[in-house]
Amino acid sequence: MQLEGQGRRAVIADGDRAVLELLQIRLDLAGYHTFLARTGPATLDMVRQVRPAVLLLDLDLPQLDGLGVLRQLNPRRAALPFPVLLMGARLEADVIREAAALGVKACLAKPFSGAEVVERVARLFRKPSPPVAAPRPSALV
Amino acid sequence: MTAVRATTEESVGLEAGVAATFNALAWEIELCGARCLKLDALIGEVMHGLPPEQRARLTEGLHTVDLLAQQLMSLSAFSRRVSGLTDDEIRVPVGDALADMTLGALADRMSQSLGGDDKGLMDGEDAGDLDLF
Repeated sequence: MQLEGQGRRAVIADGDRAVLELLQIRLDLAGYHTFLARTGPATLDMVRQVRPAVLLLDLDLPQLDGLGVLRQLNPRRAALPFPVLLMGARLEADVIREAAALGVKACLAKPFSGAEVVERVARLFRKPSPPVAAPRPSALV
Repeated sequence: MTAVRATTEESVGLEAGVAATFNALAWEIELCGARCLKLDALIGEVMHGLPPEQRARLTEGLHTVDLLAQQLMSLSAFSRRVSGLTDDEIRVPVGDALADMTLGALADRMSQSLGGDDKGLMDGEDAGDLDLF
């Protein structure tokens, strides 16, 4: 059976070890290959080393916060080569705007369940459905 | 073992908001549930390699683990919900309760979540260390 993660490399960055281990187990079970970081600088190292398919990034990382990590990863504010899921307890509008400008694809407010995270990560890889073509006038008859 | 004792002794006197305490509990319970799911997957793998006549006992175990996982997820959701409804201004002394925990890594994680020191006790191999004496 092909698992949703398909062996994709996922870097999980969170300062809270319970959250980190929870996400690791959930994503491992979903078929991702996980790598963990607990601080901002460690996240930067891990991302550069691993070249992940997806980054799960906590906003409140110690030493360098999630936005700081994104500013260093993406100084030109171009599109990132991998999707980022930003997680945080205080995801205010200005934070979300800044995160989007730095290439973040999705945000998830804490607290969340492990199942929600797996679902959100999977959604990042799903291709958007093609727009439904307008029916031809003759088809309406 | 020494590191565990140091952590718990320094946690005495720690106070935390009620909301933060429920929130920390929610994460820990959710983590227990995730570990059940991992066990569930492992039992499933083992079952796959067994002859059909030996699978019955494991099927029973599998159902129990599955039920346990669901129970823990529900408790986690409950604790998370209560955390969201509770005023964090109300503080409770959590130090003694943390000091009484016999699982070093768990006490350390919860202490960190509740504003105490993080001693960096490792999960994994050290996670089962008991502070019994």
